[in-house]
Amino acid sequence: MKKRFLAVIALGLVLGSTGLFAAGGADAGKAASVEKVALVMGSWRADDVEQMKGLLAEYSKSHPAVSIDFKPTNPPDYNATLRLQLASGSGPDLMYARSYATGAQLFADGYFADVSSVAGLKENFSEGTRAPWTAANGKPFAVPFVAVSHGVYYNMDIFSKLGLSVPATWEEFLGVCAKVKAAGIIPVANSLGDEWDIAEVVFMSIAPNFIGGREGRLAYESGKKAWNDADMAGAFQAMKDLVPFLPDGFQALTYNDSNALFATGKAAMYFDGSWTLGTFKDVPFKWSVFAPPPKAGKKAQVCFHADAGLAMNAATKHPKEAAEFLAWICSKEGAAIAAKYLPTGFYPMIDAPIAIADPHANEMLALNKGRGLDVRLAWPRLMDGDPSGYNLIMYGSIQVMKGIKTPQQAADEMAAGLAKWYKPSM
Amino acid sequence: MIDFNIRSRGKALLGEAPRWAPYLIPALVLYSTFMAFPLFDSVRLSFFRAGAVGSREFIGFDNYVRLFAVKENALRYWSAFANTWYFFFVHMAVQNVLGILFAVLLMEKGLRGASFYRTVIFIPATLAVLVVGYLWKLILNPQWGALTLFLKGVSLDFLAEPWLGEPKYALTAVSLVSAWQWVGMPTMMFLAGIQNIPDDMYESAEIAGASKLQSFRYITLPMLRPVLGIVAILTFVGNFNAFDAVFAMENVNGAPLYSTDIMGTFFYRVGIAGQHPVSIPDPGMGAAVATTTFAVLALGAALILKATREDTAGAEPAGRKPK
Repeated sequence: MKKRFLAVIALGLVLGSTGLFAAGGADAGKAASVEKVALVMGSWRADDVEQMKGLLAEYSKSHPAVSIDFKPTNPPDYNATLRLQLASGSGPDLMYARSYATGAQLFADGYFADVSSVAGLKENFSEGTRAPWTAANGKPFAVPFVAVSHGVYYNMDIFSKLGLSVPATWEEFLGVCAKVKAAGIIPVANSLGDEWDIAEVVFMSIAPNFIGGREGRLAYESGKKAWNDADMAGAFQAMKDLVPFLPDGFQALTYNDSNALFATGKAAMYFDGSWTLGTFKDVPFKWSVFAPPPKAGKKAQVCFHADAGLAMNAATKHPKEAAEFLAWICSKEGAAIAAKYLPTGFYPMIDAPIAIADPHANEMLALNKGRGLDVRLAWPRLMDGDPSGYNLIMYGSIQVMKGIKTPQQAADEMAAGLAKWYKPSM
Repeated sequence: MIDFNIRSRGKALLGEAPRWAPYLIPALVLYSTFMAFPLFDSVRLSFFRAGAVGSREFIGFDNYVRLFAVKENALRYWSAFANTWYFFFVHMAVQNVLGILFAVLLMEKGLRGASFYRTVIFIPATLAVLVVGYLWKLILNPQWGALTLFLKGVSLDFLAEPWLGEPKYALTAVSLVSAWQWVGMPTMMFLAGIQNIPDDMYESAEIAGASKLQSFRYITLPMLRPVLGIVAILTFVGNFNAFDAVFAMENVNGAPLYSTDIMGTFFYRVGIAGQHPVSIPDPGMGAAVATTTFAVLALGAALILKATREDTAGAEPAGRKPK
């Protein structure tokens, strides 16, 4: 770090002096060395360094005067680190922006620039796509970059050996689980040890199928439906339904353990997001994904979540260059080039037909067809109060799955918790 | 010769300017810059609300009011507070009691390989807390952990529990791992303490016909009281500032269901990281948490120190029985 800092100073001195010395002589050298602008991009995707470097190098090919350095932070530390960097004036020029409240707060605090003037943003993205990065005052604080999808990974070898087919309803799904369990295989790999994943990739994948997707969510948010109605209790009940099919010791197993159980063929199914697609690249069995099944008689829904936008630092020294990059991402040409480098399972959000190379990523994206789509339940409205809807869902699910609370009690607590601060509105 | 000169000159000048004063400056500067100033600044911060782009707004005791009067916050605070005391008591009862035991055993005449045992006992303390945490997390893993496999191997599967996943066991498990790691520290301190006890006391006790247990009870233990006080203070301060043991084995929420949430993790969530996934920290309230912890620490350390001083005074005249 220190070394790099010194290197930057040294580089600055060299460039500075070249400019001075060159003033009397060669004009060409001066122009090239002075105009090169180096931007820094912050991110929580520490796993994607290679891909993003490729993407940014591609950008520099068409924009030789600008180089962008990808500097990701460890994912759980990103929000805190970014805020500290921005507050101390050492924030990156461009950065990944979380959707909804987390990103909006940084905008409200003056760290993110208003990007409404970025060319292509209004033209190439639907209003629904822009919404997660639009502040309460209607100003966009980031351009949509990538979305992630949620689904159920399943081991096709185990399914064909046991003569099982992909379940179409929740009831069928539980039947499949029972058969897998009877064969001595762990049906579902998920666990409670890390807590967050039970809320984010299990509950919020399943819930839209029980509460009626986006329309259902809007009905709760506007106060037309009570948070503890039968549908919400049904979603918590679904969590309880899973318990007999989870691995032994699921209370202490972690997110990574669950992934390993599926990857080693010990578990037949695994609830997770598209960002995990890449981790099963080399597993020695055939696998695919299916959409979390709805309760019989309900419309099928997929949790397709607006994950990352790209924001620019309000205090950047190079606003022109930073905005140019955002405009490139918002252009159909730029997005098509960027898509080639996007890590597996991160889908571009632009309104343009963009080919995705990875077959599994395509399988997962294809699940969207004919199903309702919505972002994660707690994200749009339930995050900026205490207790947050996220925590109520997470602890509610855990308590239900440990047998401490009944599904109805968990839903009641969710309603009571939200009642403390949430004002129903459209 | 040189030594003598310096001393005499120092004595001669003592009345005018303390010649040793300049030597304190480096330590004073370092201490004030990196210890005292941040401490007082953090206390100051607890009276402010950090707003947009580095701005601060004075709000008096509002952070404290929100911390203790808002039900959700108070619930988390007192749960972390209680858990920290439990964490501390496990350390006192396991780490420090084992520390004395090991020290006494290591001093035992005729014990072969004492230095080997000493090394073994101390090795965990040289490892990074995160390493130890992850290692034990792996050992306790209910699917492929060594402990689980061992219990299954000897057909005691019913004893295998998801130790780190059950609220009723998790904090004990984390505390024991932490105690396991640090047991070398009190062992070394007690060892040094025992080495300072004059041998003739034990000899006369032996002549008077005292048993091993009696000489431990009436000589070793009372003579170790000052060390015990220091060890207690260090354990107390260490535990109230602990964070990484829980962070490595559970998470910053003190999983499962806040059962391993201690002051360190609570402070980290409130003041530094914010609550996942929104993660908007509240530095002002974080500072309020830190300040109350500081007050508890200062009070606790002062009380222990006071108790120890009395003991020191009582133990100083060699051979006198403590009250």
